[in-house]
Amino acid sequence: MQLGFLVDLRLCMGCKGCEIACKVENEVPLSTWRLRVKYVDVGSFPETKRTFTPLRCNHCANAPCERICPVSALHYIENGIVNIDKDRCIGCAGCVMACPYGAIYIDPQTQTADKCTYCAHRIASAMMPSCVVACPVEANIFGDLDDPMSNISKYIQEHQGNVQVRKPEKGTDPHHFYVGGGNVTLNPLASFRGEGHNLFNNLTHLPVGGHH
Amino acid sequence: MAHEIIAATNAVVTLDVALPGIVWGWIITMNMWAKSIGTGIIFIAFYLLKKYPEQTGFIRLPSVVISIVFIHLFLFFTVIDLHQMFRFWHIFFYPHMTSMITIGAWLATGFVGIILAMAYFLYMKKDEAMYDKLLVYGVVLAVPVTLYTAGLMAQSTARELWQMPTESIQMMLAAFLAGSATMLLVGGNKFSDTIKKDLALILGFSAGTAFIMYMLELFFGPMKAEEVIATLEFVKGGEYTFMFWLGQIVAFLIPMALVCKSIKDKSYYLLKIAAVSALVGLWITKHVWLVIPQLLNMS
Repeated sequence: MQLGFLVDLRLCMGCKGCEIACKVENEVPLSTWRLRVKYVDVGSFPETKRTFTPLRCNHCANAPCERICPVSALHYIENGIVNIDKDRCIGCAGCVMACPYGAIYIDPQTQTADKCTYCAHRIASAMMPSCVVACPVEANIFGDLDDPMSNISKYIQEHQGNVQVRKPEKGTDPHHFYVGGGNVTLNPLASFRGEGHNLFNNLTHLPVGGHH
Repeated sequence: MAHEIIAATNAVVTLDVALPGIVWGWIITMNMWAKSIGTGIIFIAFYLLKKYPEQTGFIRLPSVVISIVFIHLFLFFTVIDLHQMFRFWHIFFYPHMTSMITIGAWLATGFVGIILAMAYFLYMKKDEAMYDKLLVYGVVLAVPVTLYTAGLMAQSTARELWQMPTESIQMMLAAFLAGSATMLLVGGNKFSDTIKKDLALILGFSAGTAFIMYMLELFFGPMKAEEVIATLEFVKGGEYTFMFWLGQIVAFLIPMALVCKSIKDKSYYLLKIAAVSALVGLWITKHVWLVIPQLLNMS
């Protein structure tokens, strides 16, 4: 079994329901996110559009975070999920430095690394990840990539040529796919990003360094 | 290139989380700086004891003491940088051997064992022969202890700037620079002019080579990846430009100039200033190179 995620960006309307569901399900502290939706505005008025990109851990087959973790706190489980053992983590932040997707953060409450686990605890109870359940337009598609009859496998088959991953040049082999993505949605360097573009708080920098 | 893409897409992030802060900051800079001195002094001590055994016997004790102090400083800063520092023992009881952090911890532990044994045989047993024998093993182990940080930076695959193999050479040069500078400060006027000239040449060569490599990375690094271009913009007119050039001047250019003048004039009183300058500048240079890739947003 190899679990994977696919987000159809053509369906996503940026409601952030997935973001909130994830926060509630996993008790993610304020100012940190396991999953978030990035808004990017493209073009000049009146020819403008807004894109929405849900971003979470890519659960890579060749995960740099798993490789750099000195104590195997980040580890693979049999269904392909890159899980984290917070009781073992020493908080060295090597994984934060290694993840090319910026998906890992230091939890300010536990002072350990944390990230999306595809809701491994829910999957163990045969439930879907909370973000999948919360999505009102079924833009989040989750399932077994090894099963050709699973929804995600069928979706990838149907949309061949329009399925992308973030930063394929990194060689991480992500198990998180996007349909309808492009340079602006998937490449962080393709859009201007200044400080202060946060509607819900006035943080300018994430407190990822914890005690520093 | 990033500018051109942004101009073409005319895209602006209008809602996202805040920019990431610096995760590995001054504590890790202290870690690398202290390690350079701790291993570098062993390299230089080995060289001097082999080449000038009659004149340099007095460096045995100060060399090993300095190495012990600075390697423990390196370990101290390593541990206090952990967000869960009291779980440090997990590295030894739950080791993950693909991680350069684990490998580095084991290597450093072995190195500490050797230098402590060197100090024991020299100070307690007055056994210089055993000291010299252990010094060989110390040098052998000091090489990977110096290099493992470059391996760790290479494993930080998100930071494209650190992916260059030159990082390994920079680590060795930093150790030679720091080791020769420290030895010049320790030995003072007890060294003959020949030995001072040797140390000056090591200092000058390390500074010169490191400077050239930084310049190569500055000008040719952008050919490698779009992320490297964006990262180097922080030192090409960005917020770390002044600090970057200050580091280059103090760590490399001033010591090189003073070394050249000392050798030309056959007068070595300026070497102590060169040594202090190199040690201060090394910290600044390492800090800038550590911080700038972390300023880049990954998502």
